[in-house]
Amino acid sequence: MLAAASESLSYLLRSQNADGGWSYRPSGSSWTEPTCLAVMALGPAPGQHYKRGLDWLVSQRRSDGGWGPRAGVAESTWVTALGLLTMYKAGRAGSDDPAVRWLTAAAGAESNWIVRLRSFLLGGGKGGDDTSNQGWPWYPGASAWVAPTSIALLALDRINRAYPSAALLRRSREGKAFLLARRCADGGWNHGSSRALGYDGPSYAETTGMALLALAGEPGVSRRSLDRAVEHLSRCRGVEARSWLQMGLCAQRIRTAAPVSNLRIHDLREASLYLLAEAALAGLDPFGRN
Amino acid sequence: MKGSSPYFSPSILRRRDLVPLVTGTAASSACGIWRGGLQPVVQIVKAPRYEQTLFETVRRILSEAGLDVRGRRVVLKPNLVEYEAKAAINTHPIVVHAALEGFRALGAREVLIAEGPGHRRIAWDLAEEAGYFREIPNFDKIFIDLNTDEVADVRISAPASKLKSLHLPKTVLGADLLVSMPKLKTHHWVGATLAMKNLFGIVPGAIYGWPKNVLHWAGIHETIVDLHSLIPRHFCLVDGIVGMEGNGPIQGVAKAAGVLVAGHDMPAVDATCCRIMKLDPAQIEYLAVAAHNGQTREAGVIQRGETIRTVATPFAVLRQWEPLRL
Repeated sequence: MLAAASESLSYLLRSQNADGGWSYRPSGSSWTEPTCLAVMALGPAPGQHYKRGLDWLVSQRRSDGGWGPRAGVAESTWVTALGLLTMYKAGRAGSDDPAVRWLTAAAGAESNWIVRLRSFLLGGGKGGDDTSNQGWPWYPGASAWVAPTSIALLALDRINRAYPSAALLRRSREGKAFLLARRCADGGWNHGSSRALGYDGPSYAETTGMALLALAGEPGVSRRSLDRAVEHLSRCRGVEARSWLQMGLCAQRIRTAAPVSNLRIHDLREASLYLLAEAALAGLDPFGRN
Repeated sequence: MKGSSPYFSPSILRRRDLVPLVTGTAASSACGIWRGGLQPVVQIVKAPRYEQTLFETVRRILSEAGLDVRGRRVVLKPNLVEYEAKAAINTHPIVVHAALEGFRALGAREVLIAEGPGHRRIAWDLAEEAGYFREIPNFDKIFIDLNTDEVADVRISAPASKLKSLHLPKTVLGADLLVSMPKLKTHHWVGATLAMKNLFGIVPGAIYGWPKNVLHWAGIHETIVDLHSLIPRHFCLVDGIVGMEGNGPIQGVAKAAGVLVAGHDMPAVDATCCRIMKLDPAQIEYLAVAAHNGQTREAGVIQRGETIRTVATPFAVLRQWEPLRL
C-alpha cells in the first residue's frame, strides 16, 4: 500500500481486531506494540476504535504493572514503556502508575555491578561499549539497547514533565547518558553496540531518529548527530526509518522535507508510525496529551 | 574474545552434560520428506558466479537430495542481516530465487521466503536494498517477516542453554520443510556462521528484541544447539559462491569460494563448509555439541559432487580464531 495519511488511517480502522487490539498484520492476534502505536496514531481524533484499543490495552496489563508483547508471554518487557506512553497520552497515567515503578526499576543486565566485575576480570569491554550507564533492555535479563531506552525515555520524560520527581529525573538522566555514550563515531545511533565487535559500527537511520526524539532538549546532542540524521533522511526509502527520523528531527527543531512519494507501507505498525510522523511534521508532539 | 563480551555470558556448555538431541536427519526422514539412510550426505557443487545457470544447478541439487515435497509447504530462510553495496553479507537473491523455483518444480504446494533480521527491524527495506524485490517475482506476496509473525511457545525438552522454552514463528513451526540458506561466513563471536547459526533469524524480535540478545545471555553456542533441536524438518543450501572472511558476519571481506553446499543434516553441512574454509569444525563449539553422531568428522559424512580438496580455500579469520585453522 502506498503511504498516505488517509490510506494509513483507513487501513488501521478496518484492521482492528474484534477484541479491540491490533496485530502487526491484518487478521493476526492482538499485540501490545501495534496496539499502542495505533491508539496513539488515532489520538488526535479519538472515537470508538480508539476507545476499544485503549480498553484492550488496559485489559492486558500484568499484575506487576507492566505489559508483555502479547498474551501468553509470561514477562513484562520493553513494551511497558509504550503502554505507559499510550496511557499518559490518553490522560490515564500519572507518576503513581505501576508501570512507572516497573520502568524505573528495569535496567540492562550489563550494567549490573557483578556482571561488570566479571567482564572486567575476564578482560572484556576493552575498547568496547561503555557499560556504566543504565539503559533499558528489550527483554528482562538482557543488555540495554538504543530503541527500548529511547521509548522508555519518551515515557518517563513526559510523566516527569507533568509530575516532576527527582527519582524520575535521575533515571532519565542516566538513560540519556547511556544514549550519548552509545552514539556511533559517525554521529548517529545503531542498535546500541557501536564498538562491541571491535570496530566503529555505522549508525542506522531508524535508531538515529529514535535517539534524537528521546534526546529532545538535551544539550549533549551534537551538530554531527543532526547532520547524520539529515543525511540518513535524504537516502532512506522505508516508512519506518523515515518516520522515526522525521519525528526525531522535528523534536530537535529541524524542519525536514516532506515525505517522498512511492513509499510503501508493509504492515499496521508502519501505518501508525507514518501517521505519528505526520503529526510531528504538523507541529504536534505525536506522544503528547491529546 | 570468547566469553569476554558485555553482551552475553561465557559458554555454559560441557560435553558431558549433553543428552542426545533429535537430529535433523532422523526427523526429516521420519516425516517422510527425505528418503535416505542414516549417514548424512552433503553435496558440494561448483558455482563460480551468480548467474542464470544457478537455476539448473539448484534444481539438480534438490533432485539429487531425494526430497519429496509434493503437496508440502516449504519455507526458505535466507540470511538477511544488513545492506552494504560492496559487502557480501546477505544470501544472494538469485540463489533464493533458484531454490524457490526448484521447490516449485518439485511439486511443493507453497514456497515462502521468511527471515527475521537480528539487528534491524526494517526487514522489508533490507530485502529491497539486497535486491530481493528486483530478483524474485511477487516477492512481497511470499515474504514473511519472522520478527512480527504469529508465535507459539515451544518447550525445549533437553535444553543445552539456560532457556526452557522459546516463542517461535508459526510460519516456521507450520512448515513441512525449513530450508536454511546461509552465506558462507566467518563470525566474530562463534568462529563461523552457517546453516545452524542462521536459525537465530527465526527467533521473533517482537518478543525478544533487536538484537535477540536473550539468546546471547542464555549462551550463543547453546541456543544455536537448542534451535537446531526445535526445527527437525530442515534442509540446508549454503551460498558459498561469494562468502565472507575476516570480521564476519558484517564487517568482513568478500571471499569467492565458488560453491553451493547442501544436505539434510545441519551439523554435517556446516562441518563441510568449515572444511571448505579450511577451519576445523570440531573446534566450533556449537558444532562439536550438535554433531553427536560424528558429523564433524570427515569420515562421518558421505560427500557427493566435488571433493573438499578441490574446492577448499582458506578463509582469513580474526586473531582469536586462528586456532581453528586446518
